[in-house]
Amino acid sequence: MKRLGIWVILTVLGIGIVAAWFRGVDAETPVLPPLVVGEVYSTQGRPVTGADVLFKDPVTGKVMGKAVSQGDGRFALHVSQIPDRAVVQVHRAHFREQTVSLSVQDMQRLRTEGTVALPRITLEREQGAAFWAATLAFILMLVFIATGRLHNTLAALTGTSLIFAVSYLGGWVYPDLYIFDFERAITYVDWNVIFLIMGMMIVIAILERTGIFQWLAFASYRLSGGRGWLLLPILMMITGITSAFLDNVTTMLLMAPISVEIALALDMNPLALLVPEVMASNVAGVSTLVGTPTNILIASYANITFDDFLVNLTPGVFLALLGLILYSEFVYWQDLKAASTTTDVLFRKLEEHARITDKETLKKAGVVGVGMLVLFIFGEPFHLLPAVTALMGATVLLLWVKPNIEEMIEAVDWTTLVFFMSLFIVIGAIQEVGLIDFLADVIGRIVQTHKIFAMVLIMWSGAFLSAVVDNIPFTAAMLPVIGTLTGHIPAAGDKSLFYCLSVGSAFGGNGSLIGSSPNLVTAGIAERAGYPMTYVYFLKKGVPAVVITVFLAGLWLLFHFGL
Amino acid sequence: MSGIVCAIRGGPKSQRTIEKAIALAKETGEPLYFLYVVNLDFLSHSASSRVQTLSEEMREMGEFILLTAQAKAQRAGVNAHTVIRQGRVSNEIINLGREINAHYVVIGRPRKEHESNVFEEEALSAFIRRVQDELGAKVVLVDEASQ
Repeated sequence: MKRLGIWVILTVLGIGIVAAWFRGVDAETPVLPPLVVGEVYSTQGRPVTGADVLFKDPVTGKVMGKAVSQGDGRFALHVSQIPDRAVVQVHRAHFREQTVSLSVQDMQRLRTEGTVALPRITLEREQGAAFWAATLAFILMLVFIATGRLHNTLAALTGTSLIFAVSYLGGWVYPDLYIFDFERAITYVDWNVIFLIMGMMIVIAILERTGIFQWLAFASYRLSGGRGWLLLPILMMITGITSAFLDNVTTMLLMAPISVEIALALDMNPLALLVPEVMASNVAGVSTLVGTPTNILIASYANITFDDFLVNLTPGVFLALLGLILYSEFVYWQDLKAASTTTDVLFRKLEEHARITDKETLKKAGVVGVGMLVLFIFGEPFHLLPAVTALMGATVLLLWVKPNIEEMIEAVDWTTLVFFMSLFIVIGAIQEVGLIDFLADVIGRIVQTHKIFAMVLIMWSGAFLSAVVDNIPFTAAMLPVIGTLTGHIPAAGDKSLFYCLSVGSAFGGNGSLIGSSPNLVTAGIAERAGYPMTYVYFLKKGVPAVVITVFLAGLWLLFHFGL
Repeated sequence: MSGIVCAIRGGPKSQRTIEKAIALAKETGEPLYFLYVVNLDFLSHSASSRVQTLSEEMREMGEFILLTAQAKAQRAGVNAHTVIRQGRVSNEIINLGREINAHYVVIGRPRKEHESNVFEEEALSAFIRRVQDELGAKVVLVDEASQ
């Protein structure tokens, strides 16, 4: 009975398979509509995304096929009907409309072979009302940041809101004002950057409560035996190495107060330690991918790995740091020489402040930190993005240390993250309307195809401009410009221009008090200790430091990449 | 209870203020209180989320600055107390003055207009009136030493 059942099932299955096969043979093979393929590029050689491509009869104007260009600029247009003659019309906001006529041969091929591949369609930029509106919003944001009239985040949010107001409300009244919609704006936000910064902030928040930074500063004081000339380079090296892995603001928040105490204990001017320390922080921060937000931006945009930074930039940064140490010794020699022995009371107070407060957490943070470093360095073969490593490290540390999660989330600097998101949208807007292409064109005309000239120009102009405007918006705006230049200069495929941007934008921060956030934080702490770090004072000490450090790091980059 | 409140920031400019307060304490025999106020307004533009971290560090730094002033008073034969607070400098001076029933408040006056100081000239006049009204104490203004 059982065997009969099996036979019945097998027979039914067999009949089914045969029937399906016959049906397949009988069915008509579906005929795909004729296809026109091609690609849309800008005059700067970049693929144009989101262009509307229409297949039209030029006589009747009837549209017989529609497509939208993708991220790589390509489009595939299905044609519903083939007329005698046809044109392909490409329309994209902020570009001049382009119409391409299909030749007789193309039409013939479309009828017989069903597919035609068009040559590359190049769109020219159009600088209309939207161009000026987005440029104005961008400049306004920079002015608010540079003058300190608004908090950085509020300035970037104002820029973003202006852009949306112009796009949605202005564009409704006067269509030429349309910049981009919300969906398009969001595509400009680099989530790799956001998550990397967030992950590192959590790690830092746990680490900073252990007292390690204060202990390190005190250890350098003991190591130097209270000799100012020896104390200075040790403190600069510690600050520099710490800044290479942690953000510079946190490094200075933790190093500056204890440095003031050490200086007071030695009866010397705290500025003789604070100014070189903050400069070392600005310089050495760029030696790794995670050291500064500008490097994080550059790495994410140009696909530069942690190892790439170590190989291509770190030696140059250490050369610059060495130059900075010698310069600082020279400038502050009198102050350093004046250092004297401290009293027992002050020494005990220093010792008390510099105690490791949580050894257990420090051990755990050390283990996780080493693990993260290994993944940063060796994660590339597994396509492990730094943001993923930072998030994993932060999560492991949270699970292991079990701190108050709400305190940890509060320690994440959300204002900075919102600043980055808003900034990406503002930069996206000026990219969308063609300001970036315009700037790239101007710089491209100056540097032609000379790589060395381009490297020098980017480094020095970056250093100068970063001293005047905040280096984060500057770097974010320059990235697409450098991207375009890299495409135009044949030998720049080694990404050397991006390293030059990294050096220029970070080292330039030493050129003025407002050049970088750590400068302002350090100045605030110094002022609260009764040692005001004025704009002019910082300028006098900072400008020569910028010249020395950019020159030395530039020398390394030129030998490494150019000469 | 009565006493002298001397608000300091440290640094060479504060030295004359500290010396005046010590001299006043010697002269009147009233207890001297050195006050350091932790104020983190400068973080608002760059690192507003780090207030908690920095406030602890600034407190440590403030205690250190107070220790140096206390040591100076001790060398002059005056036993000074140290007080550290967080908030607005003017409010904290008034609060401490009220707590110790201060007869004198010693503060530094900027040498030049627009020179970096906790009190601008206008705010200084208003503060002196407030101290007199709320505490009934005398304000001793000391011209700060040049750096």
